[in-house]
Amino acid sequence: MTTAMATPITTEADLGRLLAWTSPAYPIGGFSYSHGIEMAVEVGALRNRADLVAYIAAVLADGAAAVDGPLLAAAWRAAQAGDAEALDAVAVLAAAFRGTAETALESLQQGDSFARITQSAWPDAGFAAFVARHPGRLAHAVAFGAAAGFCALPLRAACYAYLSGFVANLVSAGVRLVPLGQTDGQIATAALIADVARATDMALTTALEEIGSAAPMLDLFSMAHETQYTRLFRS
Amino acid sequence: MLPSPARHQRADGGVLARFTAAPRGAAPASLYQTAPLRLLLPDPEPDEVTTAALLNTGGGLAGGDAVRIGLDLAAGARLTVATAAAEKIYRSLGPPTRIAVELTLEPGAALEWIPQETILFDGASLARATTLRLAPGSRLLAAETLVFGRAARKETVTTLNLHDAWRLHLGDRLIWADALRLRDGAALADRFRFGAAGALATLLCVGPDPLALLAVLRGALAGPARADATQPAPGVLLARILGDATAVRATVAAAILAVRAPLLGLPSRLPRLWTT
Repeated sequence: MTTAMATPITTEADLGRLLAWTSPAYPIGGFSYSHGIEMAVEVGALRNRADLVAYIAAVLADGAAAVDGPLLAAAWRAAQAGDAEALDAVAVLAAAFRGTAETALESLQQGDSFARITQSAWPDAGFAAFVARHPGRLAHAVAFGAAAGFCALPLRAACYAYLSGFVANLVSAGVRLVPLGQTDGQIATAALIADVARATDMALTTALEEIGSAAPMLDLFSMAHETQYTRLFRS
Repeated sequence: MLPSPARHQRADGGVLARFTAAPRGAAPASLYQTAPLRLLLPDPEPDEVTTAALLNTGGGLAGGDAVRIGLDLAAGARLTVATAAAEKIYRSLGPPTRIAVELTLEPGAALEWIPQETILFDGASLARATTLRLAPGSRLLAAETLVFGRAARKETVTTLNLHDAWRLHLGDRLIWADALRLRDGAALADRFRFGAAGALATLLCVGPDPLALLAVLRGALAGPARADATQPAPGVLLARILGDATAVRATVAAAILAVRAPLLGLPSRLPRLWTT
Protein backbone atom coordinates (compact mmCIF):
# COMPACT_ATOMS: atom_id res chain seq x y z
CA MET A 1 0.00 0.00 0.00
CA THR A 2 2.80 2.45 0.82
CA THR A 3 4.23 2.31 -2.70
CA ALA A 4 0.77 2.79 -4.16
CA MET A 5 0.21 5.88 -2.00
CA ALA A 6 3.54 7.47 -2.94
CA THR A 7 3.43 10.41 -5.32
CA PRO A 8 3.83 8.89 -8.76
CA ILE A 9 5.99 10.22 -11.53
CA THR A 10 3.76 10.55 -14.54
CA THR A 11 5.59 11.02 -17.81
CA GLU A 12 4.09 12.96 -20.71
CA ALA A 13 3.54 9.67 -22.56
CA ASP A 14 1.67 8.25 -19.53
CA LEU A 15 -0.41 11.40 -19.30
CA GLY A 16 -1.17 11.15 -23.02
CA ARG A 17 -2.59 7.66 -22.63
CA LEU A 18 -4.69 8.57 -19.61
CA LEU A 19 -6.08 11.70 -21.28
CA ALA A 20 -6.97 9.67 -24.37
CA TRP A 21 -8.53 6.77 -22.44
CA THR A 22 -10.73 9.05 -20.30
CA SER A 23 -11.66 11.52 -23.02
CA PRO A 24 -15.33 11.67 -24.04
CA ALA A 25 -13.89 11.21 -27.55
CA TYR A 26 -12.67 7.69 -26.67
CA PRO A 27 -15.48 5.81 -28.45
CA ILE A 28 -16.87 3.54 -25.75
CA GLY A 29 -20.37 5.01 -25.61
CA GLY A 30 -20.22 6.68 -22.19
CA PHE A 31 -22.54 9.46 -23.34
CA SER A 32 -25.46 7.00 -23.42
CA TYR A 33 -25.35 6.14 -19.69
CA SER A 34 -26.74 8.31 -16.87
CA HIS A 35 -26.24 5.85 -13.97
CA GLY A 36 -29.77 6.46 -12.69
CA ILE A 37 -29.64 10.27 -13.00
CA GLU A 38 -32.38 10.22 -15.65
CA MET A 39 -34.77 8.55 -13.17
CA ALA A 40 -33.72 10.79 -10.27
CA VAL A 41 -34.51 13.83 -12.45
CA GLU A 42 -37.81 12.29 -13.57
CA VAL A 43 -39.07 11.85 -9.99
CA GLY A 44 -37.89 15.29 -8.87
CA ALA A 45 -35.09 14.04 -6.59
CA LEU A 46 -32.45 15.81 -8.69
CA ARG A 47 -33.44 19.34 -9.70
CA ASN A 48 -30.34 21.56 -9.70
CA ARG A 49 -26.56 21.74 -9.56
CA ALA A 50 -26.36 21.13 -5.81
CA ASP A 51 -28.46 17.97 -6.18
CA LEU A 52 -26.22 16.75 -9.01
CA VAL A 53 -23.10 17.28 -6.89
CA ALA A 54 -24.69 15.42 -3.95
CA TYR A 55 -25.75 12.54 -6.23
CA ILE A 56 -22.30 12.11 -7.76
CA ALA A 57 -20.61 12.46 -4.35
CA ALA A 58 -22.74 9.52 -3.17
CA VAL A 59 -21.73 7.49 -6.25
CA LEU A 60 -18.05 8.23 -5.49
CA ALA A 61 -18.05 7.52 -1.75
CA ASP A 62 -20.69 4.83 -1.39
CA GLY A 63 -21.87 3.78 -4.84
CA ALA A 64 -20.29 2.22 -7.91
CA ALA A 65 -16.94 3.98 -7.43
CA ALA A 66 -16.53 2.45 -3.95
CA VAL A 67 -16.58 -0.96 -5.64
CA ASP A 68 -14.97 -0.19 -8.99
CA GLY A 69 -12.06 1.85 -7.59
CA PRO A 70 -10.63 -1.03 -5.51
CA LEU A 71 -11.34 -3.46 -8.38
CA LEU A 72 -9.38 -1.21 -10.75
CA ALA A 73 -6.48 -1.12 -8.31
CA ALA A 74 -6.55 -4.91 -7.86
CA ALA A 75 -6.56 -5.43 -11.64
CA TRP A 76 -3.64 -3.01 -12.01
CA ARG A 77 -1.59 -4.81 -9.33
CA ALA A 78 -2.25 -8.26 -10.81
CA ALA A 79 -1.40 -7.07 -14.34
CA GLN A 80 1.78 -5.39 -13.09
CA ALA A 81 2.83 -8.58 -11.30
CA GLY A 82 2.03 -10.71 -14.33
CA ASP A 83 -0.29 -12.77 -12.11
CA ALA A 84 -2.86 -14.03 -14.65
CA GLU A 85 -4.70 -16.13 -12.06
CA ALA A 86 -5.23 -13.18 -9.71
CA LEU A 87 -6.21 -10.94 -12.62
CA ASP A 88 -8.79 -13.47 -13.84
CA ALA A 89 -10.26 -13.69 -10.32
CA VAL A 90 -10.58 -9.89 -10.20
CA ALA A 91 -12.26 -9.89 -13.61
CA VAL A 92 -14.80 -12.54 -12.58
CA LEU A 93 -15.56 -10.79 -9.28
CA ALA A 94 -15.97 -7.43 -11.01
CA ALA A 95 -18.30 -8.79 -13.70
CA ALA A 96 -20.45 -10.34 -10.95
CA PHE A 97 -20.37 -7.26 -8.66
CA ARG A 98 -23.18 -5.38 -10.44
CA GLY A 99 -26.18 -4.03 -8.58
CA THR A 100 -28.72 -3.75 -11.38
CA ALA A 101 -29.29 -4.87 -14.98
CA GLU A 102 -28.57 -1.39 -16.35
CA THR A 103 -25.46 -0.66 -14.30
CA ALA A 104 -24.20 -4.11 -15.39
CA LEU A 105 -24.81 -3.14 -19.03
CA GLU A 106 -23.17 0.25 -18.43
CA SER A 107 -19.99 -1.31 -17.08
CA LEU A 108 -19.72 -4.44 -19.23
CA GLN A 109 -20.54 -2.76 -22.55
CA GLN A 110 -18.05 0.05 -21.92
CA GLY A 111 -15.48 -2.47 -20.66
CA ASP A 112 -15.84 -4.50 -23.83
CA SER A 113 -15.58 -1.42 -26.07
CA PHE A 114 -12.64 -0.06 -24.08
CA ALA A 115 -10.82 -3.39 -24.45
CA ARG A 116 -11.35 -3.56 -28.22
CA ILE A 117 -10.36 0.02 -28.95
CA THR A 118 -7.38 -0.05 -26.61
CA GLN A 119 -6.06 -3.24 -28.21
CA SER A 120 -6.24 -1.57 -31.63
CA ALA A 121 -4.80 1.79 -30.70
CA TRP A 122 -2.35 0.82 -27.92
CA PRO A 123 -1.57 -2.89 -28.56
CA ASP A 124 -0.09 -4.93 -25.72
CA ALA A 125 0.34 -8.72 -25.79
CA GLY A 126 -0.44 -9.23 -22.10
CA PHE A 127 -3.59 -7.14 -22.26
CA ALA A 128 -4.72 -8.92 -25.46
CA ALA A 129 -4.34 -12.34 -23.83
CA PHE A 130 -6.30 -11.16 -20.78
CA VAL A 131 -9.13 -9.73 -22.87
CA ALA A 132 -9.32 -12.94 -24.92
CA ARG A 133 -9.98 -14.91 -21.72
CA HIS A 134 -13.03 -12.74 -20.78
CA PRO A 135 -15.00 -12.07 -23.96
CA GLY A 136 -17.79 -9.57 -23.24
CA ARG A 137 -17.33 -10.01 -19.48
CA LEU A 138 -14.98 -7.19 -18.52
CA ALA A 139 -16.12 -4.46 -16.17
CA HIS A 140 -14.95 -1.06 -17.45
CA ALA A 141 -12.87 -0.39 -14.32
CA VAL A 142 -11.08 -3.74 -14.60
CA ALA A 143 -10.35 -3.39 -18.34
CA PHE A 144 -8.98 0.09 -17.58
CA GLY A 145 -6.94 -1.01 -14.56
CA ALA A 146 -5.48 -4.01 -16.38
CA ALA A 147 -4.57 -1.94 -19.45
CA ALA A 148 -2.86 0.61 -17.19
CA GLY A 149 -1.04 -2.13 -15.28
CA PHE A 150 0.24 -3.92 -18.37
CA CYS A 151 1.81 -0.73 -19.72
CA ALA A 152 3.03 0.37 -16.28
CA LEU A 153 1.08 3.60 -15.95
CA PRO A 154 1.25 4.89 -12.35
CA LEU A 155 -1.59 3.35 -10.33
CA ARG A 156 -2.77 6.45 -8.50
CA ALA A 157 -2.83 8.54 -11.64
CA ALA A 158 -4.70 5.80 -13.52
CA CYS A 159 -7.27 5.45 -10.76
CA TYR A 160 -7.73 9.20 -10.41
CA ALA A 161 -8.10 9.56 -14.17
CA TYR A 162 -10.69 6.77 -14.38
CA LEU A 163 -12.79 8.25 -11.57
CA SER A 164 -12.49 11.75 -13.05
CA GLY A 165 -13.71 10.43 -16.39
CA PHE A 166 -16.62 8.70 -14.66
CA VAL A 167 -17.55 11.94 -12.88
CA ALA A 168 -17.26 13.99 -16.09
CA ASN A 169 -19.61 11.58 -17.82
CA LEU A 170 -22.21 11.79 -15.03
CA VAL A 171 -21.95 15.59 -14.96
CA SER A 172 -22.53 15.61 -18.72
CA ALA A 173 -25.62 13.43 -18.28
CA GLY A 174 -26.88 15.75 -15.55
CA VAL A 175 -26.29 18.86 -17.68
CA ARG A 176 -28.40 17.35 -20.46
CA LEU A 177 -31.15 15.97 -18.20
CA VAL A 178 -31.82 18.60 -15.49
CA PRO A 179 -30.97 20.62 -17.67
CA LEU A 180 -28.09 22.78 -16.47
CA GLY A 181 -25.95 25.33 -18.26
CA GLN A 182 -22.55 24.17 -19.51
CA THR A 183 -20.84 26.47 -16.99
CA ASP A 184 -22.91 25.02 -14.15
CA GLY A 185 -21.70 21.60 -15.21
CA GLN A 186 -18.09 22.68 -14.91
CA ILE A 187 -18.80 24.27 -11.51
CA ALA A 188 -20.18 20.86 -10.43
CA THR A 189 -17.04 19.13 -11.72
CA ALA A 190 -14.84 21.54 -9.80
CA ALA A 191 -16.90 21.02 -6.64
CA LEU A 192 -16.29 17.25 -6.88
CA ILE A 193 -12.49 17.37 -7.17
CA ALA A 194 -11.91 16.59 -3.48
CA ASP A 195 -14.43 13.74 -3.65
CA VAL A 196 -12.50 12.19 -6.56
CA ALA A 197 -9.27 12.40 -4.53
CA ARG A 198 -10.95 10.74 -1.53
CA ALA A 199 -12.41 8.00 -3.75
CA THR A 200 -8.93 7.43 -5.17
CA ASP A 201 -7.49 7.11 -1.65
CA MET A 202 -10.21 4.59 -0.82
CA ALA A 203 -9.59 2.65 -4.05
CA LEU A 204 -5.91 2.22 -3.19
CA THR A 205 -6.44 1.23 0.44
CA THR A 206 -9.51 -1.02 0.36
CA ALA A 207 -8.88 -4.76 0.12
CA LEU A 208 -11.07 -6.71 -2.29
CA GLU A 209 -12.77 -8.64 0.51
CA GLU A 210 -13.76 -5.32 2.14
CA ILE A 211 -15.37 -3.64 -0.86
CA GLY A 212 -19.02 -2.73 -0.78
CA SER A 213 -21.53 0.03 -1.36
CA ALA A 214 -23.93 1.88 0.91
CA ALA A 215 -26.36 3.60 -1.42
CA PRO A 216 -29.50 1.53 -2.06
CA MET A 217 -31.29 4.71 -3.17
CA LEU A 218 -28.97 4.83 -6.20
CA ASP A 219 -29.76 1.17 -6.97
CA LEU A 220 -33.47 1.93 -6.72
CA PHE A 221 -33.18 4.83 -9.20
CA SER A 222 -31.37 2.49 -11.59
CA MET A 223 -33.97 -0.26 -11.19
CA ALA A 224 -36.85 2.17 -11.69
CA HIS A 225 -35.15 3.44 -14.86
CA GLU A 226 -35.66 -0.01 -16.44
CA THR A 227 -39.39 0.67 -16.58
CA GLN A 228 -39.25 4.46 -17.03
CA TYR A 229 -41.70 5.36 -19.82
CA THR A 230 -39.60 7.79 -21.85
CA ARG A 231 -35.85 7.30 -21.75
CA LEU A 232 -32.96 8.98 -23.50
CA PHE A 233 -30.24 7.02 -21.70
CA ARG A 234 -29.41 3.32 -21.39
CA SER A 235 -28.97 3.54 -17.60
CA MET B 1 -16.49 -27.57 10.07
CA LEU B 2 -17.55 -25.33 12.92
CA PRO B 3 -15.26 -22.45 13.76
CA SER B 4 -12.61 -23.33 16.32
CA PRO B 5 -13.31 -22.04 19.81
CA ALA B 6 -11.58 -18.86 20.94
CA ARG B 7 -11.50 -17.82 24.57
CA HIS B 8 -13.04 -14.36 24.41
CA GLN B 9 -15.88 -15.34 22.15
CA ARG B 10 -19.16 -15.25 23.96
CA ALA B 11 -20.76 -17.57 21.43
CA ASP B 12 -19.18 -19.75 18.81
CA GLY B 13 -21.43 -22.27 17.21
CA GLY B 14 -23.70 -23.10 14.43
CA VAL B 15 -25.79 -25.48 12.45
CA LEU B 16 -24.49 -27.77 9.74
CA ALA B 17 -27.12 -29.89 8.07
CA ARG B 18 -27.66 -31.92 4.94
CA PHE B 19 -31.13 -32.69 3.66
CA THR B 20 -32.13 -35.31 1.12
CA ALA B 21 -35.34 -35.45 -0.90
CA ALA B 22 -38.39 -36.84 0.92
CA PRO B 23 -42.09 -37.15 -0.01
CA ARG B 24 -42.97 -34.04 2.04
CA GLY B 25 -39.93 -32.09 0.87
CA ALA B 26 -36.75 -32.91 2.74
CA ALA B 27 -35.39 -35.13 5.48
CA PRO B 28 -32.23 -34.45 7.48
CA ALA B 29 -29.46 -36.86 6.48
CA SER B 30 -27.11 -35.24 8.97
CA LEU B 31 -27.54 -32.47 11.50
CA TYR B 32 -24.83 -31.02 13.73
CA GLN B 33 -25.75 -28.12 15.97
CA THR B 34 -23.94 -26.25 18.71
CA ALA B 35 -25.14 -23.45 20.97
CA PRO B 36 -26.41 -20.87 20.52
CA LEU B 37 -28.04 -22.10 17.28
CA ARG B 38 -30.62 -24.85 16.94
CA LEU B 39 -32.57 -26.08 13.95
CA LEU B 40 -36.07 -27.36 14.74
CA LEU B 41 -38.24 -29.33 12.33
CA PRO B 42 -41.87 -28.88 13.32
CA ASP B 43 -44.58 -30.71 11.35
CA PRO B 44 -45.39 -28.57 8.32
CA GLU B 45 -48.87 -27.50 7.27
CA PRO B 46 -50.52 -30.08 4.98
CA ASP B 47 -49.71 -28.24 1.73
CA GLU B 48 -46.29 -26.86 2.77
CA VAL B 49 -42.92 -28.53 2.27
CA THR B 50 -40.64 -29.41 5.17
CA THR B 51 -40.10 -26.28 7.23
CA ALA B 52 -37.09 -25.73 9.47
CA ALA B 53 -37.03 -23.15 12.24
CA LEU B 54 -33.68 -21.66 13.06
CA LEU B 55 -33.46 -20.60 16.68
CA ASN B 56 -30.85 -18.59 18.58
CA THR B 57 -31.11 -19.79 22.17
CA GLY B 58 -28.74 -17.01 23.26
CA GLY B 59 -31.30 -14.35 22.38
CA GLY B 60 -28.93 -12.22 20.32
CA LEU B 61 -25.33 -11.85 19.21
CA ALA B 62 -22.67 -9.57 20.65
CA GLY B 63 -19.30 -8.40 19.38
CA GLY B 64 -16.90 -11.33 19.18
CA ASP B 65 -19.66 -13.87 18.70
CA ALA B 66 -19.31 -16.08 15.65
CA VAL B 67 -21.94 -18.35 14.19
CA ARG B 68 -22.03 -20.42 11.06
CA ILE B 69 -24.99 -21.88 9.22
CA GLY B 70 -24.32 -24.44 6.51
CA LEU B 71 -27.21 -26.14 4.77
CA ASP B 72 -26.85 -28.61 1.88
CA LEU B 73 -29.87 -29.71 -0.10
CA ALA B 74 -29.36 -32.90 -2.08
CA ALA B 75 -30.94 -33.40 -5.49
CA GLY B 76 -34.68 -32.87 -5.37
CA ALA B 77 -34.87 -31.80 -1.70
CA ARG B 78 -37.37 -29.00 -0.99
CA LEU B 79 -37.08 -26.98 2.21
CA THR B 80 -38.29 -23.76 3.80
CA VAL B 81 -36.07 -22.20 6.48
CA ALA B 82 -37.22 -19.32 8.66
CA THR B 83 -36.20 -18.01 12.05
CA ALA B 84 -38.39 -18.17 15.11
CA ALA B 85 -37.69 -14.52 15.96
CA ALA B 86 -35.77 -11.49 14.76
CA GLU B 87 -32.00 -11.72 15.29
CA LYS B 88 -30.47 -8.97 17.44
CA ILE B 89 -26.93 -7.68 17.00
CA TYR B 90 -25.92 -5.85 20.18
CA ARG B 91 -23.51 -2.96 20.59
CA SER B 92 -19.94 -4.15 20.16
CA LEU B 93 -17.07 -3.09 22.40
CA GLY B 94 -14.66 -3.66 19.52
CA PRO B 95 -14.63 -6.97 17.71
CA PRO B 96 -17.36 -7.66 15.15
CA THR B 97 -20.10 -10.24 15.35
CA ARG B 98 -19.44 -12.77 12.60
CA ILE B 99 -22.13 -14.69 10.75
CA ALA B 100 -21.32 -17.08 7.90
CA VAL B 101 -24.15 -18.58 5.90
CA GLU B 102 -23.45 -21.22 3.26
CA LEU B 103 -26.37 -22.65 1.33
CA THR B 104 -25.69 -25.36 -1.25
CA LEU B 105 -28.32 -26.66 -3.65
CA GLU B 106 -27.86 -29.71 -5.85
CA PRO B 107 -29.81 -30.16 -9.13
CA GLY B 108 -33.56 -30.00 -8.66
CA ALA B 109 -33.31 -28.80 -5.04
CA ALA B 110 -35.51 -25.89 -3.95
CA LEU B 111 -34.83 -23.69 -0.93
CA GLU B 112 -36.89 -20.91 0.58
CA TRP B 113 -34.56 -19.00 2.94
CA ILE B 114 -36.66 -16.40 4.74
CA PRO B 115 -35.22 -15.51 8.13
CA GLN B 116 -36.92 -12.70 10.02
CA GLU B 117 -35.23 -9.32 10.47
CA THR B 118 -31.70 -8.79 11.75
CA ILE B 119 -31.85 -5.80 14.09
CA LEU B 120 -28.63 -3.81 14.39
CA PHE B 121 -28.46 -1.94 17.68
CA ASP B 122 -26.66 1.41 17.74
CA GLY B 123 -22.94 0.58 18.01
CA ALA B 124 -23.30 -2.86 16.45
CA SER B 125 -20.47 -4.31 14.39
CA LEU B 126 -21.44 -7.11 12.04
CA ALA B 127 -19.52 -8.99 9.36
CA ARG B 128 -21.87 -11.35 7.59
CA ALA B 129 -21.07 -13.44 4.54
CA THR B 130 -23.75 -15.34 2.66
CA THR B 131 -22.48 -17.81 0.07
CA LEU B 132 -24.96 -19.49 -2.23
CA ARG B 133 -23.87 -22.43 -4.39
CA LEU B 134 -26.58 -23.40 -6.81
CA ALA B 135 -26.46 -26.29 -9.25
CA PRO B 136 -28.14 -25.67 -12.59
CA GLY B 137 -31.81 -26.60 -12.29
CA SER B 138 -32.12 -25.70 -8.59
CA ARG B 139 -34.43 -22.96 -7.33
CA LEU B 140 -33.92 -20.37 -4.60
CA LEU B 141 -35.94 -17.70 -2.86
CA ALA B 142 -33.87 -15.80 -0.29
CA ALA B 143 -35.00 -12.75 1.68
CA GLU B 144 -32.99 -10.93 4.33
CA THR B 145 -33.89 -7.73 6.17
CA LEU B 146 -31.57 -5.44 8.10
CA VAL B 147 -33.16 -3.05 10.60
CA PHE B 148 -31.05 -0.10 11.70
CA GLY B 149 -31.70 0.49 15.37
CA ARG B 150 -34.54 -0.55 17.65
CA ALA B 151 -37.50 0.97 15.86
CA ALA B 152 -39.84 0.59 18.85
CA ARG B 153 -37.48 2.77 20.92
CA LYS B 154 -37.00 5.22 18.05
CA GLU B 155 -33.29 4.52 18.33
CA THR B 156 -31.11 6.46 15.89
CA VAL B 157 -28.04 4.60 14.72
CA THR B 158 -25.00 6.86 14.70
CA THR B 159 -22.28 4.27 15.23
CA LEU B 160 -22.32 1.19 13.05
CA ASN B 161 -19.83 -1.06 11.38
CA LEU B 162 -21.39 -3.36 8.82
CA HIS B 163 -20.07 -5.55 6.05
CA ASP B 164 -22.77 -7.76 4.59
CA ALA B 165 -21.50 -9.72 1.60
CA TRP B 166 -23.32 -11.98 -0.85
CA ARG B 167 -21.74 -14.38 -3.32
CA LEU B 168 -23.88 -16.41 -5.68
CA HIS B 169 -22.32 -19.25 -7.66
CA LEU B 170 -24.22 -21.02 -10.41
CA GLY B 171 -22.47 -24.27 -11.20
CA ASP B 172 -18.78 -23.52 -10.76
CA ARG B 173 -19.08 -19.86 -11.75
CA LEU B 174 -19.48 -16.77 -9.58
CA ILE B 175 -22.36 -14.95 -11.27
CA TRP B 176 -23.43 -12.32 -8.73
CA ALA B 177 -21.62 -10.57 -5.90
CA ASP B 178 -22.70 -7.79 -3.62
CA ALA B 179 -21.76 -6.19 -0.33
CA LEU B 180 -23.19 -3.52 1.87
CA ARG B 181 -20.47 -1.58 3.66
CA LEU B 182 -21.20 0.96 6.37
CA ARG B 183 -18.52 2.41 8.58
CA ASP B 184 -20.82 4.77 10.49
CA GLY B 185 -24.45 5.80 10.51
CA ALA B 186 -24.03 8.87 8.28
CA ALA B 187 -25.11 7.14 5.06
CA LEU B 188 -28.42 6.15 6.68
CA ALA B 189 -29.68 9.75 6.76
CA ASP B 190 -28.44 10.81 3.31
CA ARG B 191 -31.09 11.20 0.61
CA PHE B 192 -28.99 9.48 -2.10
CA ARG B 193 -27.79 6.65 0.16
CA PHE B 194 -30.48 5.26 2.50
CA GLY B 195 -32.93 8.15 2.37
CA ALA B 196 -33.46 8.07 6.16
CA ALA B 197 -34.88 4.55 5.94
CA GLY B 198 -34.89 2.40 9.05
CA ALA B 199 -34.61 -0.90 7.21
CA LEU B 200 -33.34 -2.47 4.01
CA ALA B 201 -34.43 -5.82 2.64
CA THR B 202 -32.75 -7.82 -0.10
CA LEU B 203 -34.67 -10.50 -1.95
CA LEU B 204 -33.09 -12.93 -4.42
CA CYS B 205 -34.81 -15.37 -6.75
CA VAL B 206 -33.15 -17.95 -8.97
CA GLY B 207 -35.22 -20.29 -11.09
CA PRO B 208 -36.76 -20.88 -14.49
CA ASP B 209 -38.36 -18.10 -16.56
CA PRO B 210 -36.80 -15.10 -14.79
CA LEU B 211 -38.50 -12.49 -16.99
CA ALA B 212 -42.00 -13.70 -16.10
CA LEU B 213 -41.03 -13.83 -12.43
CA LEU B 214 -39.54 -10.31 -12.62
CA ALA B 215 -42.94 -9.01 -13.73
CA VAL B 216 -44.63 -10.82 -10.82
CA LEU B 217 -42.06 -9.44 -8.38
CA ARG B 218 -42.38 -5.85 -9.62
CA GLY B 219 -46.14 -6.11 -9.31
CA ALA B 220 -45.85 -7.21 -5.69
CA LEU B 221 -43.50 -4.39 -4.68
CA ALA B 222 -46.00 -1.54 -4.87
CA GLY B 223 -46.58 -0.47 -1.32
CA PRO B 224 -45.50 1.79 1.49
CA ALA B 225 -41.77 1.04 1.13
CA ARG B 226 -39.50 2.20 -1.70
CA ALA B 227 -38.94 -0.99 -3.63
CA ASP B 228 -38.02 -2.27 -7.06
CA ALA B 229 -36.53 -5.28 -8.78
CA THR B 230 -33.99 -6.07 -11.48
CA GLN B 231 -32.06 -8.88 -13.13
CA PRO B 232 -28.43 -7.95 -12.33
CA ALA B 233 -27.04 -11.18 -13.81
CA PRO B 234 -28.62 -13.70 -16.20
CA GLY B 235 -31.17 -15.78 -14.30
CA VAL B 236 -30.78 -13.85 -11.02
CA LEU B 237 -33.57 -11.60 -9.77
CA LEU B 238 -32.86 -9.02 -7.09
CA ALA B 239 -35.28 -6.79 -5.20
CA ARG B 240 -34.33 -4.01 -2.78
CA ILE B 241 -36.87 -2.75 -0.30
CA LEU B 242 -36.13 0.40 1.67
CA GLY B 243 -38.28 2.13 4.29
CA ASP B 244 -39.30 2.02 7.91
CA ALA B 245 -39.17 -1.44 9.48
CA THR B 246 -42.93 -2.00 9.43
CA ALA B 247 -43.33 -1.01 5.79
CA VAL B 248 -40.34 -3.11 4.74
CA ARG B 249 -41.72 -6.17 6.55
CA ALA B 250 -45.10 -5.76 4.85
CA THR B 251 -43.49 -5.39 1.42
CA VAL B 252 -41.14 -8.35 1.92
CA ALA B 253 -44.13 -10.45 2.98
CA ALA B 254 -46.06 -9.38 -0.14
CA ALA B 255 -43.10 -10.25 -2.36
CA ILE B 256 -42.64 -13.69 -0.76
CA LEU B 257 -46.37 -14.35 -1.16
CA ALA B 258 -46.25 -13.40 -4.84
CA VAL B 259 -43.25 -15.50 -5.86
CA ARG B 260 -43.83 -18.61 -3.69
CA ALA B 261 -46.28 -20.21 -6.11
CA PRO B 262 -44.62 -19.49 -9.47
CA LEU B 263 -41.07 -20.10 -8.25
CA LEU B 264 -41.46 -22.90 -5.68
CA GLY B 265 -44.94 -24.29 -6.22
CA LEU B 266 -45.85 -23.39 -2.62
CA PRO B 267 -49.13 -21.90 -1.42
CA SER B 268 -49.49 -18.11 -1.54
CA ARG B 269 -49.38 -17.72 2.19
CA LEU B 270 -46.67 -16.89 4.69
CA PRO B 271 -45.19 -19.77 6.69
CA ARG B 272 -46.59 -19.85 10.23
CA LEU B 273 -43.22 -18.79 11.69
CA TRP B 274 -43.69 -15.41 10.03
CA THR B 275 -47.18 -14.84 11.32
CA THR B 276 -46.96 -15.98 14.95
